[in-house]
Amino acid sequence: MHRRRSQLTIAAVAFVLGLLVVVQLRSQAGPSGLAQLSSQDLTILVANLNAHNDQLRREGSTLDRELATLVQNRSRGDVSVDEISADLVRVRAYAGLDPVAGPGVTISISGPIDGSGVEELINELRNAGAEAIAVGGVRVVTGVVVTGAPGEVQVAGSPVGADGFELEAIGAPDKLTGSLTRSGGVIAQLAATLPEVVVTVTPMDRLGLPATTRTLVPAHGRPRL
Amino acid sequence: MTAGDRLRAIPSWQVTLGIALLALGFLIAAQLATEGPRVRYTTQERTPLLETADELQAEQDKLKARILELRAQIQSVEGEGEGAEDLVRQLNARLEQARIAAGLIALTGSGIVLQLEDSPEPVPPDGNESDYLVGSRDIRRLVEELWAAGAEAIAVNGERITPTSAIIDIGSSLLVNSAYLAPPYQISALGPGDLYDRLSASPGFVDFVRARGEGYGIRISLAEPESVDIPAFVGTVTLRYSRPIASPSARPTAGPSGVPGG
Repeated sequence: MHRRRSQLTIAAVAFVLGLLVVVQLRSQAGPSGLAQLSSQDLTILVANLNAHNDQLRREGSTLDRELATLVQNRSRGDVSVDEISADLVRVRAYAGLDPVAGPGVTISISGPIDGSGVEELINELRNAGAEAIAVGGVRVVTGVVVTGAPGEVQVAGSPVGADGFELEAIGAPDKLTGSLTRSGGVIAQLAATLPEVVVTVTPMDRLGLPATTRTLVPAHGRPRL
Repeated sequence: MTAGDRLRAIPSWQVTLGIALLALGFLIAAQLATEGPRVRYTTQERTPLLETADELQAEQDKLKARILELRAQIQSVEGEGEGAEDLVRQLNARLEQARIAAGLIALTGSGIVLQLEDSPEPVPPDGNESDYLVGSRDIRRLVEELWAAGAEAIAVNGERITPTSAIIDIGSSLLVNSAYLAPPYQISALGPGDLYDRLSASPGFVDFVRARGEGYGIRISLAEPESVDIPAFVGTVTLRYSRPIASPSARPTAGPSGVPGG
């Protein structure tokens, strides 16, 4: 009798033990490297993925329509000069090979900012959806970096005005402004590390940005087939 | 009565039960610790978020594959301009150059690969954990140094860096373009054969290695493979706020024909 009760107790304990081992293992294994993210980070990630997937979906639809037109023209025996030209204009504008105009923000900077401070602003602008950026009148395309010690900012190796200069970006003015000036954002961080730097953001209805003077054709690479 | 006598006096089932209870207690403690004060969320609210993030990533992979497929089809239909018309041939040649400039074409050529890994060193009690992890600032810094050293195309873990690429932190991982990336991070850069010599001659790069590598134990390694592959950018190149301005520079700036030299 006594022995039988002890066996039941052990069986019950073993059951609970097994259950806990499984729960413990499950809570430690997370899918696809996302497990180390907190709920807050996961929420940010989900919001970002949602927004970017929407963009990718729109791009897919644009390409779908383009392909349909091309195929239709071909079946009629037409050459799609207009479509190819439109594609060319679109891609050149994105790469920075043509001047562009649109709404956005002008950021006036004065005081001893350094190159990496300007790069932080540029990164935040891109994160907020900026489509085209210029620093001191120079279009920022791939390969163009802002460098230099405080008060000696250079864009692609050329000095910009020591008394102050402008950073211009095309995109949704309210989104760009909000992203830059939010509390704890990039401008707040700059103010903490470089208190003498004055950064002013002005939303603009229309801005014109120049084309790059670079050709952007690699000399050391070729298309991979 | 000695300890040995006492032990012998306890029935064996009690010893077994005692051990089992000990293990149980340990497991309960471990379970509570993993859901302890550092992590203030319950599995109930976390699991749906993880699932959503996973689904969105899978969806993104599909959308990207579709974009690549459509681009390839468009390119092939556009290229069928029958070779007869000079205008079409010239337009297509310019479009190819523009696509290369925009990062829409995968490239291969000479270059280097830099790898960054989190520090293996324990974080001192008065230290800041994030200093010992690779963050977006580290990646941006190296990308900037590589451009300045003459790199012509760059990708981070396969994500092409374009004029609109932001690199931001998501917890201890990164978001580049639209992709979620986790360490180790590999920055592949296409450029001249002496790209690494140029990079290591830069005071900014030397400072970086000293501050992040020697200072916090961030592991920085270099590979110089025979050739480096840089994938195409898979994302939107459709500008919604910018309108192109017709200007003289809309004419070909580079030679309208031929493949760029290798």
